[in-house]
Amino acid sequence: MTTAETSQLRARRRARARLSNGLAYAVLIVIALIMLYPFYWTVITSLEPTGSVYDPKLLPNGVSGRNYSAVINGTSVPFWRMFVNSVVICTLGVTLSVTLAALAAYPLAKMRFPGRDLIFYAILALVVLPNEAGLIVNFVTTRKLGLLEQHAGAFGPLLNMVSQYAAIVLPSLASIVGLFLIRQAYLSVPLELIEAARIDGAKELTIWRRVMLPLAAPTIAAFAILEFVAFWNSFLWARILPLDPQMLPLSAGLLELSGTFSTNSRAVMAGTVITIIPILVVFAFGQRYFMKGLEGAVKG
Amino acid sequence: MSLGQEAGAAPAPTARRGGQSWRRVARDTLVGYGFMLPFLVLLVVYHTWPVLFGTYLAFTKYNVISPPEFVGLDNFRELAKDSQFWEGVRNSLRYLIVVPVIQLASIGVAMLVNRPLRGIAFFRTAYYVPVVTSFAVVGLIWGWMYQQTGPVNWVLTHLGLMKEPHSLLNNPSSALYAVMFVTLWKGIGYYMVLYLAGLQGIPRELEEAAVVDGASRWQVFWHITLVGLRPVILVCSLLSTISAVKVFEEIFVMTQGGPQGSTYTALFFSYAKAFQDFRFGYAAAAGLVIAVISLAFGVINFRLTRGGKADA
Repeated sequence: MTTAETSQLRARRRARARLSNGLAYAVLIVIALIMLYPFYWTVITSLEPTGSVYDPKLLPNGVSGRNYSAVINGTSVPFWRMFVNSVVICTLGVTLSVTLAALAAYPLAKMRFPGRDLIFYAILALVVLPNEAGLIVNFVTTRKLGLLEQHAGAFGPLLNMVSQYAAIVLPSLASIVGLFLIRQAYLSVPLELIEAARIDGAKELTIWRRVMLPLAAPTIAAFAILEFVAFWNSFLWARILPLDPQMLPLSAGLLELSGTFSTNSRAVMAGTVITIIPILVVFAFGQRYFMKGLEGAVKG
Repeated sequence: MSLGQEAGAAPAPTARRGGQSWRRVARDTLVGYGFMLPFLVLLVVYHTWPVLFGTYLAFTKYNVISPPEFVGLDNFRELAKDSQFWEGVRNSLRYLIVVPVIQLASIGVAMLVNRPLRGIAFFRTAYYVPVVTSFAVVGLIWGWMYQQTGPVNWVLTHLGLMKEPHSLLNNPSSALYAVMFVTLWKGIGYYMVLYLAGLQGIPRELEEAAVVDGASRWQVFWHITLVGLRPVILVCSLLSTISAVKVFEEIFVMTQGGPQGSTYTALFFSYAKAFQDFRFGYAAAAGLVIAVISLAFGVINFRLTRGGKADA
């Protein structure tokens, strides 16, 4: 082959690559528009002061903060209260579910005792057993535990608040996915490290805190982010429970708002924008952990 | 898999000094159960108990106020004749259309974002945003987007796919498909990530060797990419089959089963019987039937995705 022929061939190949890359970008951009435009449209519509609400648009016909002040100040249950509820539920949910799974995974990965394998397989079986009545039975359980009862007296309001937060959070605290993820991370911790700590006289709880937790930190971070997203987004359970209206978290409260506030869709849109922001922030910072956790969760 | 054989698992206590190792096992037992106790208590109360009590409830009449009353197979007999339930099942099975569409779409998207292009990380993130947003938010947003004067109608009429704009969620002939599209839109990013991991597990040399041997793009896709992805396809399509049969959250947020029952799905029936009619036993029975149906479709799906290949 002459040099002219090879360079011609190379040029043709480069042209074809450029064409195929151009096509790929075109498709990528169209899909990105489909994925992101609904969010963008909600943001710009929530900023508009007036006009027909649902029109398709690329830019807002005006910018004002009145829908935001309407949703923040104008609702029967203060919006800040729902935000606080979401923060409390998420904080409790994430810390407790991570702690419980990280504790329980330690003996399952690194100790030997009768019944260990049985418990492990029993937990594994729970994943596939039919749980369609889960909502129903958990509703009954929550009632039977007295978590929905109204308390009287000086500490009544406080007790009501604590027990209703507990009612919302408790059913999702024992995460089987989290247990498997963290157990998997513990398995790769060298046994010699644990033995050495034991010989030095360390208590098991100290070993867990000083050896296991730091070495499993990336997995635990991944799981924590998965849990944050799950707790922030969950709404069904809180909608089904007969909670005091001021106990609703944001995602559930939004649905309530869309009913009572149906005349002002823009204000509800402003509410959804505020609800999404924390998730996007956490996702942006923890994306790498998040993807890792997701893949691990399916493989495990 | 046996626990003891996994890398790094604790070895069996050696019998070198019988007394000490016995004490060691006793100590490990105590400590081990101590570590697991809080997790196990919550797991039993909120996961194991629902499976057991839920199954029992299916054979009872129960309204939460008075204790459950055992009625044998009455609930199931009633279900067999309940046309509303079977309409729900039919809608849930219609929802299975989503499965092949979402799997093909996510394989395609995964192959796209697997290309070493500049800025590809942005696209991966963008496609994942719907996955991390709540169905409460997503359902509200699409509810607005589907309004008669909204963007979806604009696109559909301008593409010539529809003559007159109408409120898509209020129309019995379009509501179910409108909800399906939201499921698709929200789910693609999730499966994309899984397929992406699968694609990156296929050795590049394999594809390059095939190209050198003169294989066409299509042949490479068919004989190398798809074959390499088969385990992921199996898992993903199983996941999406089961969640299609059990579709509920999007219905709950967007249509509540309406208009005219056109989006009334099987699990929505169970929900409505429990929390609107307070017939918890009947609702649990419906849940059990749905579990059996989704298991059956899970098995069918498993057969289909591994079918035709002797080595699978």
